[in-house]
Amino acid sequence: MSHFNHFDTLSLHAGQTVDDEFGARATPIYQTTSYVFPDTDTASSIFNLERGGHAYSRITNPTVAVLEQRIAALEGGSAAVCTASGMAATFCAITAILSQGDHIVASSQMYGGNISLMKNTLPRFGITTTFVDPTDSEAFRAAIQDNTRLIYGELIGNPGLDILDLAAIAKIAQRYQLPFMVDATFNTPYLCKCFDHGVNITIHSVTKWMGGHGVAIGGVVVDGGNFDWGATDRYPTITEPYAPFSGLNFWEEFGPSAFATRIRAEAMRDIGPSMSPMNAFLLLQGLETLSLRMDRHLSNTKVLLEYLGSHEQVSWVSHPDLPDHSSHKLAKKYLPKGAGSIVSFGVKGGRDAGRAFIENVELASHLANVGDAKTLVIHPATTTHSRIDAEALVAAGITEDMIRLSVGLEDVRDIKVDFENGFRAAKKIASA
Amino acid sequence: MGFRTRQIHAGVTPDPLTGSILTPIYQTTTYVQSSVDEYLSKGYSYSRSGNPTVRALELKMTDLEDAADSICFGTGMAAVQGVMLAFLNAGDHAIISDVAYGGTYRLCTKILARFGVEFTFVDGSNLDEVAAAVRDNTKLFLTETPANPTMKCTDIAGVSKIARKAGAIHAVDNTFLTPYYQRPLELDADMSIYSTTKYMDGHNATVGGAVVCAKQEHADAVRFIQGSTGSIMSPQVAWLTLQGCKTMSLRLDAQSENAMAIAEFLEGHPKVKQVCYPGLKSFAQYELASRQATGYGAMLWFEVKGGLVAGKKLMDNIDVFSLAENLGSVESLITHPVTMTHAAVEEAERIRVGIIDGLVRVSVGLEDVEDLIDALERALKQV
Repeated sequence: MSHFNHFDTLSLHAGQTVDDEFGARATPIYQTTSYVFPDTDTASSIFNLERGGHAYSRITNPTVAVLEQRIAALEGGSAAVCTASGMAATFCAITAILSQGDHIVASSQMYGGNISLMKNTLPRFGITTTFVDPTDSEAFRAAIQDNTRLIYGELIGNPGLDILDLAAIAKIAQRYQLPFMVDATFNTPYLCKCFDHGVNITIHSVTKWMGGHGVAIGGVVVDGGNFDWGATDRYPTITEPYAPFSGLNFWEEFGPSAFATRIRAEAMRDIGPSMSPMNAFLLLQGLETLSLRMDRHLSNTKVLLEYLGSHEQVSWVSHPDLPDHSSHKLAKKYLPKGAGSIVSFGVKGGRDAGRAFIENVELASHLANVGDAKTLVIHPATTTHSRIDAEALVAAGITEDMIRLSVGLEDVRDIKVDFENGFRAAKKIASA
Repeated sequence: MGFRTRQIHAGVTPDPLTGSILTPIYQTTTYVQSSVDEYLSKGYSYSRSGNPTVRALELKMTDLEDAADSICFGTGMAAVQGVMLAFLNAGDHAIISDVAYGGTYRLCTKILARFGVEFTFVDGSNLDEVAAAVRDNTKLFLTETPANPTMKCTDIAGVSKIARKAGAIHAVDNTFLTPYYQRPLELDADMSIYSTTKYMDGHNATVGGAVVCAKQEHADAVRFIQGSTGSIMSPQVAWLTLQGCKTMSLRLDAQSENAMAIAEFLEGHPKVKQVCYPGLKSFAQYELASRQATGYGAMLWFEVKGGLVAGKKLMDNIDVFSLAENLGSVESLITHPVTMTHAAVEEAERIRVGIIDGLVRVSVGLEDVEDLIDALERALKQV
């Protein structure tokens, strides 16, 4: 199989060896907690990570493993670890390498959950973050401190849609010997393979475009296998002996997948946010059509950008594919197929008109998810970003009239008809 | 091995590839063949003809009844249909115990009758009536014991003897008691039929059925019908049912104990006209029920004084019990067969076999029996 390397082929086949016992063409759902060991020696070698194999489904599961290997192949990484949610992936990835006293430089324009994790939760454990303007690469460099251990951002910022200059920031990260971790949920490996641009670790909420059908929550950490953990003594969790596994040294034993293995050995064991096999199966089904869906997401987005751009009730439209977007050049560079299917726009008439629009569309669902096959709309100021203060709201580039649109796979003519109803209601509010 | 060990382990071996202690859910349509010559060498080609997860449940069912083979179906009715299509042709005759489940009655009178199959519904408790119904073209006896919802019992060994003499097959719908309490194949029946929806699943999670055959050639005939008509069980359902089976005997014992307590409570209640539960000494066929089964099950019915009007009032007002079809689940259910499960049975036939208007059917669940009795007490007060 290893000589079939194109994206669509990998999204169907990577990670799966046809079941040897019966030849089942689909990946079996190993809905099991545990695995019977053939003998005690095998058992102890699996437990000690001396050989592959499954012991307990919190640590590994054969169905989940297929998804992990498939995503690693699509992303071009060395290994992947699936988690119960995207947030669990972020938490496990950060805590695998950072400890008390360590520091992160992160983009200020990210999903509210990421912001909250770094602003509220991690500081309780002595891990602090400096948030910087993602459009100013130099700001990342300027924020680096002696105790900085990680640079973090989202390739397509949420919800401002600013594009990170991956290569520029990767260069800074390399110069300071820091790993560069990117939440690549909005782009998926189909639109951008971050490791090709110097990123070292990617995080995805697989719930979104990868799964694509809004049926299961899941996350993944992908190890790029391209960071030299041994170059400094700053990453003792990777390079120093790990007592729970008889002094195992991940860097020496696992090299390019040392980071992923550390997550497996520590986070999956002691924290335990494992993905369920049923979710892995459902997400695998979604992943099989990732590229087909993304192409349709993008073509629908293109039509809607034109529609919204010329609509009299729309005060502004933001998408990196629009020439007037500040990240347009970076979008062309990193996302040549298109900069994703999230669009933000303002409804004339402010907060109340925005609400009227959302309440009067019928096809588009009002809910807090993105990347579903169905078109979704939300008002970030009152939902996804409601738990961050006013100052941070401005810093995150959110205005009160902003609607965030996740363009679905419906016939785009129907989406336009639906939006027309929303705008008619918004107009009444605006002119009242 | 004892029943409790078998209900857990039979049919399931650790997955050879990973050691997975549970059978994986083979949610797959097709199976990759190693070569043309080795077609089917691993046993599977297409999930309509066979699926490893479904097969694990079939092997368990076979083992629990010391049978030759089993075939799982999409529903209990599909299992009944599989047996009928396998052994009845145009011009053939079948003897069915009255009253069978409403769906069985409908299948016989509304569907198979159109294809020239004849049916006689007999009182299974009366072996003379059963013997008298035999014709030259009688090919199948289908009995249901205890019967749904009347609880009328059929002497399985007695009917098996008549069937054998007539050269016909005897199939027993053993859904109410399961192989844990009643073993038709040991009473010379040819096959047991189950709605696995009931005590095998036991959690109201699935619909499914099974035919458990004493003879391989019978199983082959039934499987051929399934392959041709396509009424298969899905791997997800098989997997959930495999899990349910592990606690089947525990649930049945506890639910039956609850049923006995409820039956005794109802029998002594001034607002109750009659109670029918095989475990009561007052049950007309107490001797037969005690002789051919090791337990009385968790199904019963009763009639409130005041008939249908009073019964409806009770069913509409009771809590803890859910007003719902289905039976055998851990949740206690209360059903009005005349308007719900047996609405398809014609009125004259219904009354002839004892499904009276005021009959309230109870599937006793696993709740604390004090709560169940308390709920009945309160509902009866409102009548």
